[in-house]
Amino acid sequence: MNLLMEDMVKSFGANNVLKGVTFELKGGEIVALLGENGAGKSTLMNILGGVVLADKGTVKVDDEVRDFLKPLDSLSAGIAFIHQELNLVEDLKVYENIFINTELKRKSGFLDIPLMCEKCEEIFKRMDVKIDPKAMVRDLDASYKQMVEIARALMMEAEMIIMDEPTSSLTEVEIEQVFYMMKTLKDQGVGMVFISHKLKEVVEICDRYYVLRDGAMVSTGDIKDVTTNDLAKFMVGHEVRTENLQRERPIGEEILRGENMSLKRCYKDINFSIRAGEIVGFTGLLGDGRSELFRSIFGGTTDYRGQVYLEGKKIKAKNPEEALKLGIGYLPRDRKENSIVKDMNILENGTIVILPKLKKGLLIDRATQREKFKGQVKKLSIKLEKDTNMIGSLSGGNQQKVVLAKWLLSDPKVLILDNPTQGVDVGAKEDIYDIILELADIGMAVVVLSSEALEVIRVCDRTHVMYHGEIRGEIKGKQMTEENIMRLATGGELSESGEKSHGIN
Amino acid sequence: MELTKSFLMKFGTWFKDRWVNNLLFSTTLILVVMLILQAQALGFDFNSFGEWFATWSRNLTNVLRNNSGVGIISLGMTFVIISGGIDLAVGSTLVAVGAFIMVLMDTGPHGILGNAGITGFPAYMIAVVLGMGVGLVLGEFTGVLIAKGKIPPFVATLGTMKLFRSVTQHFMQGYNPAVPKAFLPLASLKIGSLMLMPIIYWLIIAVCMYIVSTKTVFGRHIYAIGSNERTARLSGINVSRVKRRVYVLMGFLVSIAAIVQVARIGSMDYANAGSGYELDAIAAVIVGGTSFAGGKGSMVGTVLGVMIIAVMNNLLNLWGVPPFLREAFKGAIVIAAVLMQRKEKEL
Repeated sequence: MNLLMEDMVKSFGANNVLKGVTFELKGGEIVALLGENGAGKSTLMNILGGVVLADKGTVKVDDEVRDFLKPLDSLSAGIAFIHQELNLVEDLKVYENIFINTELKRKSGFLDIPLMCEKCEEIFKRMDVKIDPKAMVRDLDASYKQMVEIARALMMEAEMIIMDEPTSSLTEVEIEQVFYMMKTLKDQGVGMVFISHKLKEVVEICDRYYVLRDGAMVSTGDIKDVTTNDLAKFMVGHEVRTENLQRERPIGEEILRGENMSLKRCYKDINFSIRAGEIVGFTGLLGDGRSELFRSIFGGTTDYRGQVYLEGKKIKAKNPEEALKLGIGYLPRDRKENSIVKDMNILENGTIVILPKLKKGLLIDRATQREKFKGQVKKLSIKLEKDTNMIGSLSGGNQQKVVLAKWLLSDPKVLILDNPTQGVDVGAKEDIYDIILELADIGMAVVVLSSEALEVIRVCDRTHVMYHGEIRGEIKGKQMTEENIMRLATGGELSESGEKSHGIN
Repeated sequence: MELTKSFLMKFGTWFKDRWVNNLLFSTTLILVVMLILQAQALGFDFNSFGEWFATWSRNLTNVLRNNSGVGIISLGMTFVIISGGIDLAVGSTLVAVGAFIMVLMDTGPHGILGNAGITGFPAYMIAVVLGMGVGLVLGEFTGVLIAKGKIPPFVATLGTMKLFRSVTQHFMQGYNPAVPKAFLPLASLKIGSLMLMPIIYWLIIAVCMYIVSTKTVFGRHIYAIGSNERTARLSGINVSRVKRRVYVLMGFLVSIAAIVQVARIGSMDYANAGSGYELDAIAAVIVGGTSFAGGKGSMVGTVLGVMIIAVMNNLLNLWGVPPFLREAFKGAIVIAAVLMQRKEKEL
């Protein structure tokens, strides 16, 4: 089977996500699709999966033009899309998951369980894995869940499988298992697209690569001709704006320190120290454990090992309320889920953190509340009509500034910002960078968690790069380049070229 | 002609906009329509206005007085539902508190306070205060189950609903305490020719609850938790404490309803008193425009919701609709209220 996507164009509003991209996949090969977040990888594959409709361009399967209007269309053309978040029902058995909605029945109308199990065994044999069809999916390891999902694709006679970051939540051993199965399927003529940020894995398993940048295909070729460093360079591009916004400012006493912090399945052996007036980055790829680390410090859990110090004193916040009282502010990622109360107005969203401090007798002192918020509106140049309008009436950038305002009002000693410019347009992004710099100028310790290397380079004085829950390295000054960050974030070393295996041990 | 047409068009869009976007507008309008229908059903006649007004006001105060218990409970239920919960145990709590104060005040040989030599006004005071205390404790119990035990509110209060009533019934077997006559004016004192006391309690509590819901930290935290619990927690709100207090307040309000009910009726049927109150209160809250999903709603809406259901019942009675069918109308108006809320969301 042959798949060819020609001149694919797609825009969302004024945002051109794909600008004439051509992509080819043949049976029996594994092709890497690479690119930074927002480069257009997901959009391209979503077109193939029937999730998104292209504006222009043709998709040909075996030289025949096909339109994929819905996921079922691409499935029936033999293309299966395995999403990063697995699509399995944990409380059903393996065979029930594989035959979900295509259950086999006897003539009597009852389920034919032996036949379904038999068919599963056949598929598993083909993949060369051992899974009991009657096991509960909940009880399987992550890699086996992945394989169950692939088995389901094969059961629907898929000949092309798109895998979106299939190894992001797997351990080293599990990754080997998945790779072994991929090779087995490849030998049987199945074509696979491997989307991943882990370049070492790409080099190990793939035959060819495609690199997308800003919606254009910037490089393609055979894997054997390139190194991981080459690939990282292609992804980032040559002429990137890396001007650092940092400026001279006095650095004060140590504010926050973590010692030997570990939390099962999230992060381990973390050591760091942040001083007043510093802007320190924590970056890495999705699932590197940085959010979990700082959420623990903010009282999200008390199960972690190790010790946190705030201004030299041992602390362990039981819940966010306590962390807040200690002087820690935490602006979480995913604004809609974690930062916004959609049924409340702008004023209330902006002052929710300091509400208990606004009490005058039994009631909330509205005048002080409004006055304090107005100060922030001015300082952060938040554009709004009336502060009694609903929060949803603001643009993403202004919503984020309101969220920032609520934390600034609590006057924290250390402010942790998790993806502070998520879903924010370019102008507002620069505003937020300015605010971060000003906060450091007045002596606040600021932690910026971000998966965007460029963002970290732009605002941070220094950054820790995390990989699989560990700090892979710390870089600062001229060393802070996208290439270096990408290398550490994909498990590589700073000095050497990326020839080692993906293990970090 | 043109002018009227364009006026009607404009009025139409204005009306539609208000109806969809302002729940208080629609609930108020429905209540007004029902009151007009009620006035008509009572034989409104311009020539004998005074006589009609006397009948109408007596009828209306009767209706509201009979519903003041549910009305007080509905106010607490509004908070419970805004916080994203539900309380099915209010009827059982009412019976438990009612039985408790009756045992305290009993003028018969088993009366606890009577045997201790306390009678009259001091006895009533003690009974009322301890009754409220029991309400608080039962509410705290439910609140701990939900906030600390992480039991879904529906399940937790289903449990306490059975628990409270069953235990009360067991201890009250074959025992019918006599409520002292001097206690009854608490509910039946006449102002002019009307017995307004329960209605006054209800409205005073409504005003207090309105202030709590709009002007206090506790009130605003309830809305924040109901709308987005994650954001609330990450904003440093102690979610479990606020939730616990919501159920404590609910228990307290139920105890007031119980005291008023004992004073109003002078006795209690342990098997049936208060049963169905939970559903009546939930219905009133929903009709008043509070979102069942939490985060949205108002005390004013709940007061209107209670009145709409009360007046509608009375209207059906006046029209001679068979009693068994009346519940169907209550069901229909709840469903209609939720359908209206959904229409608002889609826009």
